[in-house]
Order: sequence, then structure tokens, then C-alpha cells
Amino acid sequence: MSKILGNPRSLAILIICVAVLAISIFGGALGNTLGFGFFASSLPAIQLPAEKIADGFNTPVGKWDLMNTMVTTWLAMLVLIVVSLIIRRNLKDVPGRLQALFEVIMEFFLSLCEQIAGKEKARRFFPLVFTIFIFIVAANWMGILPGFGTVGRIAGPEEIAHHHDAHDYHDPALVTTTHESKESKAEPHGSDEAQGDGHDSHLDTVKLHVFRDYKAIPVAALLLGSLEEELTFSQYKEKDGNVGEGKRAGHLVPFLRSANTDLNMSLAIALIAMVMVHFWGFSILGFFGHAGKFINFKSGPIGFFVGILELISELGRIISFTFRLFGNIFAGEVLLMAMAFLLPLIGIIPFLGLELFVGLIQAFVFAMLTLVFASMASISHDDGDNH
Amino acid sequence: MGDLGINLPGLITQIISFVILFVILSKVLYKPLVAMLDQRAEKITAGLEAAEKAKEEAARSEEAIQEQLQEARSEGQKLVTQARETADRFREEEMAKIKEELDAERSRAESNIQRERDAAIEELRKEFAGLAITAAEKVVKTSLDEEGHRALIEGVLNEEGSRNN
Repeated sequence: MSKILGNPRSLAILIICVAVLAISIFGGALGNTLGFGFFASSLPAIQLPAEKIADGFNTPVGKWDLMNTMVTTWLAMLVLIVVSLIIRRNLKDVPGRLQALFEVIMEFFLSLCEQIAGKEKARRFFPLVFTIFIFIVAANWMGILPGFGTVGRIAGPEEIAHHHDAHDYHDPALVTTTHESKESKAEPHGSDEAQGDGHDSHLDTVKLHVFRDYKAIPVAALLLGSLEEELTFSQYKEKDGNVGEGKRAGHLVPFLRSANTDLNMSLAIALIAMVMVHFWGFSILGFFGHAGKFINFKSGPIGFFVGILELISELGRIISFTFRLFGNIFAGEVLLMAMAFLLPLIGIIPFLGLELFVGLIQAFVFAMLTLVFASMASISHDDGDNH
Repeated sequence: MGDLGINLPGLITQIISFVILFVILSKVLYKPLVAMLDQRAEKITAGLEAAEKAKEEAARSEEAIQEQLQEARSEGQKLVTQARETADRFREEEMAKIKEELDAERSRAESNIQRERDAAIEELRKEFAGLAITAAEKVVKTSLDEEGHRALIEGVLNEEGSRNN
């Protein structure tokens, strides 16, 4: 101890560490309740569905809007495609580093496929299994980059209210002030989402955040100190929408959000995986060979019932696929937000590592389960029972 | 479903996105890379086989060399023994010859010596007989005491010795 204190350099490092710790404790949520809270970050609005960034167009199956998770999906795709094009261009027998990395991962999955599904089926299953793995890893790891979930536009109170099925809500600020009327024109979507049951307002539980308003750039960021206070809707109404000069109330709508925190994405992969699994089942066992597992008249009523149970469990697989991935990644996102809120500066550092790990593991689990289901589907039950 | 954020347009978008990614990656990444991996595996297998073959070849040639060496060595051994035998025989023959020659030489020398000695003895005898006769003549001529005899014989011998010298 005295050695550490004697050396000026390590003493300085120690002091800086203690200072950062103190700042993060007192500047964060804890300090806020004690009356310090100079960073005053409040917990950002957390919502299950992905946020809309831009209005889209009407399609026969509903309104298509540009969601932030779609942007992230495309970004992850772009990265993967660019990387594979680079590898493709520099494909050499003696591999470079990038090629060697991909070769190692691919070899790993190829040998895994061969172990689980056998040599001749492995080549069939491999592309999907590997795509699932690499895409989920890319999307998950992208999702914890800085800027994801923290940079976006500010949705005003009216948009939030509409989102919570309170379609008759009007922002008092828009009535009294004129300079924000542009925004009200930009978001005239309220009636499109009118499908909820009744207009009973859930707004009591919803809190508005007050942001500093940078008029020059229409982008807000959850920087340290950019969130000043929280208001309930009734408080906001009391103030008549006037939250102060150069400030705006609302929620941050991030431009980028980890792709797998949208159930659409994880459900999409799960559906593709299960459809392909059954496609392989049909193509390897023949139509009756595979369908006979589920609709089974051969082995009496018990066999029939077991077949129906199998059918249900196939549906269960889709659901468990979807929610396992979504739940893990979404929970990770919330965890990071909460830690940034509780202990700004240092709180998220250990959890970033954890999220890297979780992102990798979830991708691996998804890919492995797809592979296992595929190899199970491609084995006839009659054979399996005889063993 | 709406509360969970699942909606059909979004789902279809994501499905299409994933399928596009799948197709592109299959075309761009997996096909060439897997082909390359296979090719490399083949190449490595071929290389290993070639190495194995070369090793066998080397072992075989090594054996052949060893055999030849062995042969050469025994051949050399045989040659050396032969040469040694020849040399021994030659030496013995020479030795025998030399011995014979020497024996012949010696016996010739011996017989020469014998002959010469015989001749010398013969001569000596002749001379001695002469001397004895001379001495006898002198004895008869002079007195017959013993001192006188001895002096006489001495004198004759001296005379003879000085003459002989």
C-alpha cells in the first residue's frame, strides 16, 4: 500500500480512479436522489416494439414504416457483405488474416455440422447455420457500439400519447407556441394506428423527458447531462407545455437499435430456420416420411396423439427460438441502459464484456439448435425407434 | 402482437433481408471459401501421400545402399584376405627359397672350408714330416741328452718359425 502511495504515478492513477468513481456515483441516479446528480441522466424510455424513424407507405398487409431495427439489420448485412467481398477478392491459397479468421470459424462450423448431421447432410445445412450465426453475432455486437440507442430524434408528447392509444391528446405546447408547429405537420400519423380498444389513457405511467433542444441539428443524443428532468403528462399539462427556454419534452427515438431487440427480426430468423428444417425433412425423407411423424395413423391412437404433440412442439420451437434471442439481447440492452443510468462513466464497462459474450453465445445457440433440429428432422422416426 | 412490436410488414422486411443476406453470402463467401478449403484439404492429403511415398522410397533406397555397402565390404574383406594369403604364401615361398639358397651356400662354404682345411692339414703334415726328418737327422748328428734334444728341437722350430715368417 505504501509502495503505491509512494509512487507519484500510481498515486495519480489511484486518485483519478477514486474521482471517477465518486463522480459516477454522485453524478448518477444515486446522486440525483441526494440532490447532486450533475449528470442527471434519467432512465430513457424503454419500449418493446422497435421505434419508427420515418413514415413509410401503405401495403396490403399494413403500413410499412422504416424502423430503427431495420436500419441496423441492413447495416449488419452491409458489413457482412463488404467483408465477404473483400475476402472474395483476396482469396488465396495461403490465407491472409481476414480470410484465415473466416476459415477458422467456417471450419469449426463445418466440422460441427459433420459431427451432428453426418458428412453428406452437413454441406446442405451449413450455409443456413453459418449465416444465422454470423448475422446474429454481427447484429448483436453492432448493437453495443456507442451511438446505438443513444442518438436519435426527439418524439414529442403528442406522438408518445398516440403511441399509447391516446389519440385525442393534444400537446399544449403546440397550441401556445408557434415555432414547433412544423413538427406537428411532420407526424400526422395518429389515426393510422387507430386499432386499439377504447381510448383509455395509459399516460399516467408514462414520463416525459426534458431534453436540451439543439435547433441547429434535429438530432438528440443521450449525452451526459442532456436529460434534465422527468415530467409526468399531468405535470407537463400544468406547465402548459412550457418546459423552459431551449428545452423540449419528449422521448428519444434512437436511429439505431440492436436488430435482435425487435421481435420481427428474431421471429423472421426463427421462421426461416424452421421452414428450412422442415423443407430438409421433406426433401430427405420424402413427403410421407416426414409428414408421417406428425400425422401418424400407423401406431394407433397413442401414436396419433404423440404426432400431434410433436406438431405442437414444432410451434413451440419457433416461439422459444424467437423469445430466447429477443429476450437475451433486449435484456442486455436494458441492462446497459440501467447501468449507464445508475453509474455513469464506469457502470457499463463490465457489462459491455458480458454483452459481447451473451451476443456470441446466443448466436451460437441459435445456429446449433437449427442444426440439431435439422438433423433430427432429417432422421426418420421409424429408424430412430428401432435403436 | 402489436404490443410486442410484431407486425407483418416488419416481419416480411426482415425475412426478405435475411434471405438476401443468405443468398449473397452463399454465393460470395461460402461457395468459394468451402471450395478452397476442400481443395486445400485435397492438396494437403496429396502432399502427405507424396511425402509418405517419398519416405518409403528413401527407406527402400537406403536399404539398397546398405546392402550394396555390405556387399562391397565383404567383397573388400575377401580381397584383403586373399591378398594376405597370397602375400603369406609368397613370403613363405621366398623364405623357403632363400633358406634353400642359404643352405646350399653354407654347405658349399662348409665343403670349401673342409677341403681347404684338409689341404692345409695335408700340407702341414707333409711339412711336419719333413721337419721331423730334419730334426731326426739333427738328433742323430748331435748328442743325445735331453737338454740338448730340447734345445735342438727348439732351435729347429724357431728356425722353421722364422723361415715361415
